[in-house]
Amino acid sequence: MLPMRSLLPPLLFTLAYAGISLGVTNSYYQLILTLVPVWAVFGLSWNLLSGYTGLISFGHAAFFGIGAYATALGQIYFNISPWLLIPIAAMLGGIAGLLIGFPTFRLQGHYFALAMLAYPLAILYVFEWLGFQEVTLPIKRDAPIAYMQFADPHIYTLLGLALMLATIVLTQVIERSRFGMALLAIKQNEAAAEAAGINTLAWKLRAITLSGAIAAAIGGFYAQVLLVVTPASVFGMLVSAQALTVAMFGGVGTVWGPVIGSVILIPLAEILHAEAGARIPGIQGVIFGLAIVCVILLAPEGLFWKLRDLWRKRTASKTDVSDRPEAAATNVTTLKPASQQRTATGEVVLEVRSLSRSFGGLKAVQDVSFQLHKNEILGIIGPNGAGKTTLFNLLNGFLKPSQGEVLIDGRNMSGQRPHVICEAGIGRTFQVMRPFLRMSILDNVVVGAYVRARTEDQARQFAADAVARVGLSAVAHRVAGELSTKELRLMELARAVAGQPRILLLDETLAGLGHGEADEVVAVIQQLARDGMTIAIIEHTMQAMVRLVDRFLVLDHGAVITEGLPEVVTRDNRVIEAYLGKKWAGHAAN
Amino acid sequence: MSKTSKGKAPTGLTRRTVLSGAAAVGLAGVARAQTPAEIKVGLIVPLSGIYTRPGQVMKMGAEMGIEHINAQGGIKALGGAKLKLVVIDCGDTTEKAKNAAQRMVAQEPDLVAATGSYLSSFTLAVTEVTERAELPVLTLSYSDLLTDRGFKYIFQTAATASRQSELGLPTLMKLAENASGKRPKTVAMLMDNTATSVATAKALKEKLFAQEGLQLVVEEVWTPPLSDATPLIQKVRSAKPDLLLFMPNAVSDAKLGLEKISEFGLGQGKIPTVSFSITIAEPDMLQSVSPETVQGIMTIVANWGSKGHEALIAELKAKYKEPWMTQNVISTYGDMWLMKEALEKAGKADRNSVAQALRTMDAGPSKYYPGGQLKFDEKGRRVGAGVVIVQWQSGVPVTVYPPDLAQAEPFWPKKS
Repeated sequence: MLPMRSLLPPLLFTLAYAGISLGVTNSYYQLILTLVPVWAVFGLSWNLLSGYTGLISFGHAAFFGIGAYATALGQIYFNISPWLLIPIAAMLGGIAGLLIGFPTFRLQGHYFALAMLAYPLAILYVFEWLGFQEVTLPIKRDAPIAYMQFADPHIYTLLGLALMLATIVLTQVIERSRFGMALLAIKQNEAAAEAAGINTLAWKLRAITLSGAIAAAIGGFYAQVLLVVTPASVFGMLVSAQALTVAMFGGVGTVWGPVIGSVILIPLAEILHAEAGARIPGIQGVIFGLAIVCVILLAPEGLFWKLRDLWRKRTASKTDVSDRPEAAATNVTTLKPASQQRTATGEVVLEVRSLSRSFGGLKAVQDVSFQLHKNEILGIIGPNGAGKTTLFNLLNGFLKPSQGEVLIDGRNMSGQRPHVICEAGIGRTFQVMRPFLRMSILDNVVVGAYVRARTEDQARQFAADAVARVGLSAVAHRVAGELSTKELRLMELARAVAGQPRILLLDETLAGLGHGEADEVVAVIQQLARDGMTIAIIEHTMQAMVRLVDRFLVLDHGAVITEGLPEVVTRDNRVIEAYLGKKWAGHAAN
Repeated sequence: MSKTSKGKAPTGLTRRTVLSGAAAVGLAGVARAQTPAEIKVGLIVPLSGIYTRPGQVMKMGAEMGIEHINAQGGIKALGGAKLKLVVIDCGDTTEKAKNAAQRMVAQEPDLVAATGSYLSSFTLAVTEVTERAELPVLTLSYSDLLTDRGFKYIFQTAATASRQSELGLPTLMKLAENASGKRPKTVAMLMDNTATSVATAKALKEKLFAQEGLQLVVEEVWTPPLSDATPLIQKVRSAKPDLLLFMPNAVSDAKLGLEKISEFGLGQGKIPTVSFSITIAEPDMLQSVSPETVQGIMTIVANWGSKGHEALIAELKAKYKEPWMTQNVISTYGDMWLMKEALEKAGKADRNSVAQALRTMDAGPSKYYPGGQLKFDEKGRRVGAGVVIVQWQSGVPVTVYPPDLAQAEPFWPKKS
């Protein structure tokens, strides 16, 4: 599953670390060496949820603490070995993740973060109330190894390392799979991900379950190292903050971030505590805080990304000369003459029946009915606020209609979740582009392919096809951050195409493009239509549209004012009036 | 292994160099310890974070103790060797305390004993490390759990929490009876949910209230910090108990509660108020409440500057500007003398010999801890450890019980 090339660095790192650990005889340094992987794993568990989905959790201590208490109490009350208890703790953490995730994923952004903050604090009080203010692990003098109690502190470090290596590899596998792609897509734009056929809730629940399980397992191990468990030491604010600190310092959304953060920060905090703190007690906190602030200011996304960007820049400037001209040359899509030979058949693939939606008193869409025929290009136009985007949102499931039906191939799909509608064969693009800037074009497009692809290879294949269809094959491996607006628009188009839809909803795909650029995009859309795609497109710029579409649907104030062939619609007085006002309607008539 | 570790050469090498350097220093320390010109003892207390203040106060006690011992000729059994204090900050979390303890045993291999760590959670974590390193630790923390783990290297000088309530309540009842002429019948209990309060309350509710014929009429628990004491005190006012047990562990909580008691007209002994921790008698209290508000309030504590400590108290005042001597100062001061005693008995500057000396010690009445002797039972609890009752009188908390330590007569506030 994982190529050797990506397995090698964590393996080498772990071996090197183990080597250093075995060379250390001082028990205090050994303890610090044990704590580094502990906090790295905790940071990785946080990263798995928050780093990849962008849903910041301030409450990962909830899982950590559940694991720690499960491991401690299981030994005290049931005399179970921690070798068994840590897996049990992981299970409990997973369940807790599911239970916490299910209601909390209804919230977004800051609200999610704040709600997550509440869980560990609430659980902390429960444990205090239960009388578990101070719990110590019993010493097992007769069977220490069966109870994970080693006289040799190296073994704790090695166990911690094993857990860290396992978590790193797991994270890497996820990063490369559909799972990781889905999470990244959610991070960029949850709505777009949903529209690309990703069942966002299901993936988020999987992420928090796994994340909770890892956090709980490492919490259990931590209890084993610390030997004393108090609510504050495992459920406290500082614990949740530790996960954020190591991950954000090292780099969010990468497997190396939390590891780098932990390797630097945990020993640094301890050294400061031991050296500076002995002279001026308390100064360690000040220096530590300042160090973090400085790094965050200089490298806002964490050290890993900063270093990677610097390294890329250096290597890029070397290869620049040979790279550029080629890219520029192949980048131009040859503009094929618009052909009218494409024949829209009479078969109805999408039918809208008296669709309405109001927001309070505002009727954003009222009583809209129309049909989309197979292989036609329908242009939906209307002035600002006419309800065009709202109509699209109703079609692809972002909004539930107050009234009316959306029939896809004769089946009523109104009110379904977006990813379900996407599976039914409707793809869409967005007015505001949200590309994954650090990823290559191909990787950006793969996200859209999973809805149809059964395997990873098939998804890659679909994505490559889609990139070829929009004419970006030559630049497919460049990162999205370096692209022009036109290329980004085409990439968005490719992402929608990669899901093999039968119907494409394009929301202002030509917006922000220059004259020549718009023509290139128009040519691509026309080619898609010739290849059998049915397209509905929203647009402001009439000029390009008149040449592109077969038929217009004109909206104003949420209602259809007219429908018909381009030449008829553009002369319609009601249309001119809607766009330009009554006065101009009079002019046009003359 | 050495081949693979090259991948991480830069940081790995520097760290290893640092470590070997540190190890060399450690070895040098061992070599020096063979002819002890000075004997190192540890003080591991919070000196950063929210528990800094008690840690600092403990440090004062330790410094005074060391100074006095050395001035009087050091450890005579070891040719007048001087004691040297090694201070280690155990921070404000359990993890930091554990790390600090590990640092202490790894970096200071020639320590013979230590004392700490104020909060019982910290002492729990610290002693998990010292037990394995076989370093004897004296503690003024009084959680029962500390000496319930079967550890061999912990010595608890204070009466445990449950013992304190066992001793404290009957004494208090006697005091009340003597002073006011009648026994209290009803009691209200307001407490926070920290480990010490919970342990104390458990003993009170399960056994002592019934034993003393007290009826619990109000019981309220809060989680620190207390945001508003009004509902708590309102309940007390309507229940009119003969006795109020008010058990905060943070000065801010104590202040809020006492001010509210005063505001509701229950202060100045309208309802006799008793606490179970030193919080309510800390010098910090006077920064936020007036002496009138606290007048007459009593607290049952494990130790306090008392009769016979006058010179010490005066020295503390002059040297550190501390207005009176709390448990933290006197107990830590006493710990230094206890270590000296053990060293004299052991005749060797070696941690295991010191531990053995502490275990077998029987040095008669204790001078710096209330009640009992300088002798430990098999759990490591000081035999006969007693309690002290302290009462706020004219802006100073003074010892009023036991009579041999009392600095003043107790007064039992009479109901008007």
